[in-house]
Amino acid sequence: MIYFAFFWVAFSIVLSFLYAPPAEGFKGESYRIVFYHVPVAWVSVLAFFLSAYNSFMYLKKKDYLYDIKSKSLISLGLLFSILATISGAIFAKIEWGAYWNWDPRQISITLLLFIYSAYLILRSSIENPRRRANLSSVYALFSFFLVPFLVFVIPRVYFSLHPDLIISSKGKIQMFGPILHTFLANLISFTLIFLLIYKIDWKIDYEIYKKEMSDE
Amino acid sequence: MNDLVYLTIANLIIWVGIFLYLLYINKKFKRIEKGK
Repeated sequence: MIYFAFFWVAFSIVLSFLYAPPAEGFKGESYRIVFYHVPVAWVSVLAFFLSAYNSFMYLKKKDYLYDIKSKSLISLGLLFSILATISGAIFAKIEWGAYWNWDPRQISITLLLFIYSAYLILRSSIENPRRRANLSSVYALFSFFLVPFLVFVIPRVYFSLHPDLIISSKGKIQMFGPILHTFLANLISFTLIFLLIYKIDWKIDYEIYKKEMSDE
Repeated sequence: MNDLVYLTIANLIIWVGIFLYLLYINKKFKRIEKGK
């Protein structure tokens, strides 16, 4: 899978810069940030969703593996949210003239960053493994209830500078042709990167956990 | 600044961010290796 991912990522980078033609309505070539900014944001939402699933599974089965997976997913979700925020701020500077515009999406992703940073702080403040896993799973599960509101509802209720890039209000896809192909290729590419890093990350965390348990 | 410069910076930040996370994982891995 690593070789396929490597090939696919290289392929989608080439597509982003050589295959996709310049888009109308954007300043110069700046729109190509969308090929990275949107997939990164998508991956962070995916990570938060999977973390909620793993937290639920932990609470159901009391298996530490799920808790460890949930922690890895939230760390990765945070990484990708930070990257989405920074790349979005740079894109905003080109298109809207300022890095920060108090746009609903900018505010909601920042709130998500705070909520999930608190998860990591909560984890690091509890020493007892069972108590730590229980509390952080409940926290992760409840935090996820906010994600659909912050990511999908609020930006659509309030006026946003962000366009509905993928699906318009009429429910039609606005991207087409080479731009859509490139966008989808990058979406797959970042999902692959995320899955690979996640697999390595949770396995290492699980080893650390087993080592801690054997030391005690 | 030129839009291409912004585009390059945004892309670099994304890849460097992913690379730094991989370095962090590598650091954790080395810690386990040392412990063995």
